[in-house]
Amino acid sequence: MMSGNSESPQIFEGLRVVEYTESISGAYCARLLGDAGADVIKVETLLGDSTRLRGPFPGDSSDPNLSGLFLYLNYNKRGITAKIDSIKGREVILKLLENADILVLSGSAPQLDRLQLYYSDLEKLNPSLIVTAITPYGLTGPYREYMGDDLTAINHGGLAYVTPGLPDVIAGSENEPPLRANTFISDIEAGIQGASATLLAIINRLFTGDGDQVDLSVHSAVAAMMTFETSQAVYNVPNNREPRTFGIQPNVYMPCKDGYVVIAAWMPASWNRLKKVMGDPDWADSEVFIDQYERARNWDALYPLLLEWTMTQSGEEILTKARIAGLPAFPVYTVKQIVQSEHLKDRGFWVYSEGSDHKVQLPGYPAVMSETPWRFRRSAPNIGEHTSAILQSELGYSQKDIHAMVIDGVV
Amino acid sequence: MNRLPLQGIRVADFGQVIVVPYATQFLAWMGAEVIQVETETRMTSRQTPPFWEDVRGVNRSGMYNFNNTTKKSCTINLTDPAGVDVAKNLISVSDVMTENYATGVMGKLGLSYEVAREIRPDLIYLSVGAFGRTGPMSDLKGYHSITNAFSGVADVTGYPGGHPRLLGSLTPDVTSCFYSVLAVLEAIYHRYRTGVGQFIDISMAECMVTLIPEAVADFSMNTRVPERVGNRDKDKAPHDVYRCKGRDKWVAISVSSDVEWNNLCEVLGKPELIMDSRYTSVQGRQMHAEELRVAIESWTLLHDGYEVMHLLQKMGVTAAPTLDAGELMDDPHLQARNFIASIDHPEVGIKMNSTVPWKMDSSPSFPIEPAPLLGQHNYEIFQDILGFSVSEIERLASSGTFS
Repeated sequence: MMSGNSESPQIFEGLRVVEYTESISGAYCARLLGDAGADVIKVETLLGDSTRLRGPFPGDSSDPNLSGLFLYLNYNKRGITAKIDSIKGREVILKLLENADILVLSGSAPQLDRLQLYYSDLEKLNPSLIVTAITPYGLTGPYREYMGDDLTAINHGGLAYVTPGLPDVIAGSENEPPLRANTFISDIEAGIQGASATLLAIINRLFTGDGDQVDLSVHSAVAAMMTFETSQAVYNVPNNREPRTFGIQPNVYMPCKDGYVVIAAWMPASWNRLKKVMGDPDWADSEVFIDQYERARNWDALYPLLLEWTMTQSGEEILTKARIAGLPAFPVYTVKQIVQSEHLKDRGFWVYSEGSDHKVQLPGYPAVMSETPWRFRRSAPNIGEHTSAILQSELGYSQKDIHAMVIDGVV
Repeated sequence: MNRLPLQGIRVADFGQVIVVPYATQFLAWMGAEVIQVETETRMTSRQTPPFWEDVRGVNRSGMYNFNNTTKKSCTINLTDPAGVDVAKNLISVSDVMTENYATGVMGKLGLSYEVAREIRPDLIYLSVGAFGRTGPMSDLKGYHSITNAFSGVADVTGYPGGHPRLLGSLTPDVTSCFYSVLAVLEAIYHRYRTGVGQFIDISMAECMVTLIPEAVADFSMNTRVPERVGNRDKDKAPHDVYRCKGRDKWVAISVSSDVEWNNLCEVLGKPELIMDSRYTSVQGRQMHAEELRVAIESWTLLHDGYEVMHLLQKMGVTAAPTLDAGELMDDPHLQARNFIASIDHPEVGIKMNSTVPWKMDSSPSFPIEPAPLLGQHNYEIFQDILGFSVSEIERLASSGTFS
């Protein structure tokens, strides 16, 4: 359903994107453009993108064409390799950019500076080109030269300090330090934001005809996630990693008989549903639990009463009862349950990356669009898979030229 | 001022809490005219703490004021048929309509996509649900914590040997917000080129699953279930947060090569560690991570997080301070890049606000105005945009249509 059929229109049909990235964020940004139909050409060094080495691999056997992270970041793209710091290699890149609409770059600012592929460098070649650069700290500002990765971005951007976070209360700040999810959240978030910023430039170009330079820092991409916590700080709520409550309750993450469950029942209607699901215990009608604010004020009395009930229930039991009652409550699911979820399958969320020797299930694009459904068109390219085809039929190199460049280690 | 990217786009915003209001705030910053449709009878973030000076009031919530800058507000009672007619009037002159009620609510109100499309055939209608608007779980209600628990992200978050933990920052809301912005922009671009609008169905749960490709691929390839590893990474070590000077103060250090490791040892003043055979490989440094923690913290505890960052980065080691939300608003780099704005709100005064995380040459600045007071723009919207006469407005107001 979601992957559409071959007749449905593609939003970015006719747009050419060139990608040269040294980090995850730019690769994800370019893939999102590819998901909506842009022709994305990924340019890799002769050694290949570093995420080709990251895995996971089928059977744990390392293969640069089968890294799970690479397959995810690079479907809906074609791929070429080029030594872009050589004269011939740069010529290939510039030929590609002459007829491109978008160039996506990512890496540290000093790395990108050396490429000389900013809009200011390319304006003469292609004045309507949009260059999107995603870097750890952006292209301006006092820390522009600094290096960063997901760990430093989520710490410097504020996410780590509040994880585990609302409504997951920590027991002690010494034993439960700021925490990273074991994945690349900052890069994915920056990729989404980078795609939006790029698209704003494309929309602007419809009216002005002009190209643009987009400059996104992964640091601020994370800071932009912190809208709840920063609003608290600006309104003088003291910073504290151990808040028992944030002023309204119950909004809680707590143990149940066989795991953990979240219950979000501070609004009056939800609280009434929770009472019903618990079998209308007498204590629930006490004056001290009369509204969400009182329930927060008296949380130390309320929590043990709730716990007494959740510990008699499995997560699935709570979910079943909550669902009937219309109560927002849910047990913690495992990755296995997600991969096997009937709901996600029914919505056509998954992508199956396929080659002669693999078939891997991967997350897709999370928006269903009625007129322009996104499409999974191709699995990620093998290293250098489209070099010859693109150089020959799209850039006009002869087979002899290409052969010479291969011998010289340019492509 | 230069042309703003979304100049000329009008958004009728029926959003609640964070995900949609934060998304439409981005549209407003990019030049769209965003009109929030609110009601006095059912408010969400306007009644959510923190309230300025701890005084409750519909214009005093930080959660509301921070996420709804640069918008207009009108109040329409959508349980009154006359109110639904006013909303339809507004939809007829809007390009984009947004909502994130529970599945089915807009239909009950008489404002489903099918109805809205009749009124405005090229409308872009964004509908964000916890589990999306189709599929066997679409009826389930959920806020951020529900979708976080469902998504598998909690399963890859936690301390070694510990139970699943939830990410802070209302990650499902903000992540779904960013995907919503992208999808709406795609639809706007498509409409400019073809004149065709569309319905966008976003599932917060799916937005979350896009964050964990490695765990999904590993289960798919090898049926392996993730282990919770704290701040460790399989390819880098040291890769963790370390205590630094002050109470509950931390700094992140990430070493991805032997060169970085050697440089770290030099800055720590422990060059002897470079030759120590226990630490010469990533695997060795991972195996001895707790001994290394002692060595690293004996130095980091003498400095604050920024000092550690500057000293290490100058020597080519990746490091950054762990900031809380207050420190984030004071960060010199975010300030230098104009990520933080100062906004004068008529009821709560001058407040800092986070703004646009990217820069574009074509738009050197973006409009940042205070959040509207409840119903602040009723007359402007009903009279100037929808063309109601003053007497009609007064008649509808007295019968409760605008409450």
